[in-house]
Amino acid sequence: MKRRDFIKSSLALYALGSYLPTALLGSKNRFSYRNSNIDSDRIVILIKMNGGNDGLNTLIPYQNSSYYQQRPAIAIPSEQSLPITDTLAFHPALENWQTFFEQQKLAIIQGVGYADGNLSHFRSSDIWDTGSNEDIELTTGWLGRLLELEYPGFPDYAPEHPLAIQYNSANLLEFKTETSNTGLYLYDPDTMYSIISGNYIDNLNSDIPETFGGDELAFIRELDHMSFNYSQIISEAAQNAPNTIMNYPDTNIGQQFRITARLIAGGLTTPFYRFYQNGYDTHVEQLYSHEQLLSNLSDALNVFFDEMDALELLDRIIIVTTSEFGRRVYENASEGTDHGTSAPVFIFGSNLNGGVFGDDPDLTNLDDNGNLQVQFDYRQIYTTIMKNWFGLNTNTVDQVFNDNFQTIPFLDEALYSQPKTGPNGFKLNSVYPNPFNSSTMISYTLPKDHSVIIRLLDIRGRVLRVTQLGKQKAGIHLFKLNGRELPSGSYIAQVEIEGSSLTQKIILIK
Amino acid sequence: MVPSLNYIKTSNDNWPDSQAKRLHKKFINKHWKQVHVEEQKPITDLNPQNRFNLQARDIAWDIPSVSHLLKRTVTGPNIEEINAFINNGMETSIQGLLADQEPPSPPGAWVNEELPDWSSLSSDERQAIIQAYYNRMRVFQKWWAKRMMNGGLNITEVMTLFWHSYFASAYSKVFYPQAMYQQNNIFRTLCMGNFKDLLRQVTFGPAMMIWLDISGSRKEAPNENFARELMELFTLGVDNYSQSDVVAASHAFTGYVTNGVETNYDFDTMEGWGYWWTDWHDFDDKTFMGQTGPWTGDDIINMLLDRDECAVHICKKLYKWFLYDHVDLDFIDGMADILRSNNYEIKPALEYLFSSEHFYDPTFYGSNVQNPVQLYLGTIKTLKMEEQPFDTNYFTEIQNHLDMILFEPPDVNGWLGYRTWINSNTLPLRKAMICALINHESPFGSFGNYLNIPSVAQSLVNDNDDTYHIIQIIDNLVLLFLGIEANETLSEQLLNIALDGAEPYDWNISLPAYHAQWSRFEDLLMYMIRLPEFQLS
Repeated sequence: MKRRDFIKSSLALYALGSYLPTALLGSKNRFSYRNSNIDSDRIVILIKMNGGNDGLNTLIPYQNSSYYQQRPAIAIPSEQSLPITDTLAFHPALENWQTFFEQQKLAIIQGVGYADGNLSHFRSSDIWDTGSNEDIELTTGWLGRLLELEYPGFPDYAPEHPLAIQYNSANLLEFKTETSNTGLYLYDPDTMYSIISGNYIDNLNSDIPETFGGDELAFIRELDHMSFNYSQIISEAAQNAPNTIMNYPDTNIGQQFRITARLIAGGLTTPFYRFYQNGYDTHVEQLYSHEQLLSNLSDALNVFFDEMDALELLDRIIIVTTSEFGRRVYENASEGTDHGTSAPVFIFGSNLNGGVFGDDPDLTNLDDNGNLQVQFDYRQIYTTIMKNWFGLNTNTVDQVFNDNFQTIPFLDEALYSQPKTGPNGFKLNSVYPNPFNSSTMISYTLPKDHSVIIRLLDIRGRVLRVTQLGKQKAGIHLFKLNGRELPSGSYIAQVEIEGSSLTQKIILIK
Repeated sequence: MVPSLNYIKTSNDNWPDSQAKRLHKKFINKHWKQVHVEEQKPITDLNPQNRFNLQARDIAWDIPSVSHLLKRTVTGPNIEEINAFINNGMETSIQGLLADQEPPSPPGAWVNEELPDWSSLSSDERQAIIQAYYNRMRVFQKWWAKRMMNGGLNITEVMTLFWHSYFASAYSKVFYPQAMYQQNNIFRTLCMGNFKDLLRQVTFGPAMMIWLDISGSRKEAPNENFARELMELFTLGVDNYSQSDVVAASHAFTGYVTNGVETNYDFDTMEGWGYWWTDWHDFDDKTFMGQTGPWTGDDIINMLLDRDECAVHICKKLYKWFLYDHVDLDFIDGMADILRSNNYEIKPALEYLFSSEHFYDPTFYGSNVQNPVQLYLGTIKTLKMEEQPFDTNYFTEIQNHLDMILFEPPDVNGWLGYRTWINSNTLPLRKAMICALINHESPFGSFGNYLNIPSVAQSLVNDNDDTYHIIQIIDNLVLLFLGIEANETLSEQLLNIALDGAEPYDWNISLPAYHAQWSRFEDLLMYMIRLPEFQLS
């Protein structure tokens, strides 16, 4: 049986409908707090190529004689590289990427970095994680700040699904807020729940002293509590994924893809994932190690792509590679390369504009340290994701970076970017659960007495159902939307008062 | 002594050769993550004017302050040890804490083993050697763990661990257990000695020469890896040097090579030897931090140590390791002055730290998230299990799952400690895996050691104390196990768990081990291990 057939047959099982996490269906004692556009069903997977990926040996300027002159020992021979344009070719380990490129499922952004590139791994990683300029040290992450802006009550009022999941043991700076961390670390979703719940103690020592020791206690206690709250929904999602899930390579990066695939297929709507692949600091004998790294990444990504495609989930996902810097143009005498500045960023997905953005690297016009010039600021990538993938408004995005960055057209503007807060305090609080099986609850807040109309639309905007609710009092209201007679699929729920309407995309899975 | 020439190879000569390296890498990926020592110099006598008059300081030398000091500087202090420190007074105690130790006997004869001739070996023979190396590293980890548990009231093993994190080098790249041992031995021998000696010994040891690619770097196109980390992580700190300094230093650090256990560096002449030195070392002038000359690696080290930032950098790292994640810059200035005026002798700086009023400010109590290795070993000690057979496999699980593998730090920046230890995966595992010492229900592997509960309780009874035994015992457990004092509600809860409806005077320490009282006592221990406060010291 071909891999693709295998997946299709597993889909039959998947479609039976019994897999929806029970926690999503019942009205369990969970926060139901939803008013951000990040709560769409869209997902971003960020992959850190840790150590500084050699961009020039990943996307090779295979017609450029300067490339071969400056890298006599480690240049990839042009006859082995895999051309994608007249001037650019992939490393031979990236055959799948060549295919993705041809299928318009890969956008390449050339020369990504930042001004005055710092060549320290640790400092440059911090810059990418915090979203700062080279000369500014921030203590919070760009995603931490974004999620704090979008969920102002966090962590006391947290959404029902974790905001971010990461697979690196360290307490990542990228998801850090002033007092907390929005990223949950995952190791094994199968054992997670039983271990966490079996060892959780509801706290009695409730006073926290106002000392440095007290600060640390508060941090641990909150993390303890958050892990406990989220562990059940995560393991349920993992358990409810089809158990015939595809075979992922038995590599570290392969396992990160495997776990993520299960969680997404099982209904978890966490919007951000951060993967890690270590080993890109190729100062010596890089030919072999770099090839291994790229092929491990490509193999795992390929399985994930196939699987998400077969499950018809690929349109909801983009995968973005990042690295703290690229590497030096000329090789060193140890058959490796030292720290550099800019490098290409690769973005994968079926719902994007494929192609190469920016010019080929200029190997002769280098900076003072012999490094490539920067074409795009890394925050332009993040800005494009926030604005066009999640439909966040300019105001929010500018607050995250305290600056304004141009988008890059690898994503079209999000179609459903209507605000969830209307004028005068009219709010669409949540549609929960979502995805839903038979019914879901729409929660909305009226600033004063209003006549309310609830509409159900299909994904093209055709009205399927209209419910006139008449005059309702100011305050929070719930409306139960029944999906029993509808086929599985995506819909739009719309709540209208005089002069204003709010919408939320919802998914029915039977 | 000049090592024999025929062993010296470099990475460019395919050291140890690419097939062996690949086998090693494959093996390491599967199993491992799932010296040249000079005679020790006598410790320089402290300059009297830099010496602290300990008695003049206003520090209450009592249970809270002493247990704070011991929890930060030794592994798993017990009640007797805390009392011993209190009785001996501050000056004597700190002198004992910082006293030089006899060097231990090595973990095996293999530490001096010569290198195999890789080129003459079959694939199976290579595999066998790689397996043997791996086994040695497990033995080595266990050997070190036992030393940590049996380190007594002395800081040596914790300082050794500190330097391991400071000069973080990992076996997965270094390849030879002999080289890892050499480096560990340098850390232990010079842990409170002179930083300059330590830095030179580490830099020109085989482990570092392999780890940061000094070995094989040549003048035509030097490798910058070591030069950068030398400044960023080992001496000055980031932003205190420029990229052109990195380039200049990388030229100075050319021509040094190692075969994995020996190097071509001569500690007396401070030069390399052999054709690697004559052909590969860059003898030309370099401009480093504004000074031009034909600098060697030693010259660079000397110039770095002349910079004021160097002492500040070392003191910040010590402060972070022993006191708190966010440094007090005024205090660091004073501590760095001591380090500089004592010509980089480390001991006076430690003495300054541990006898300062600042160190004993109660705001720091419980502000350290314990590293998982010491947390585990310390609990074994508190539970009086340190004499039992050491479960090496379980220790491997602890290291792998709690993200602290001895001899395999995550990267050259070492373990950052504090909140990086704690996440939604490690926190529950830290509780569960340590509770397994009591209930034997580990999520990974089996753990079969025997816990003698009554003797644990007995060790927590005070001399000359007529309060009820169980009350004394709970008070002492709170002191040893919890970084933050228990409030009244929690204290009551702990007592309720131990008594289960009985009265404190019903609780009897002489009851036999099968009595239900002791299973409640086990519940009490596990309850405390599961509290967030248990993670802190």
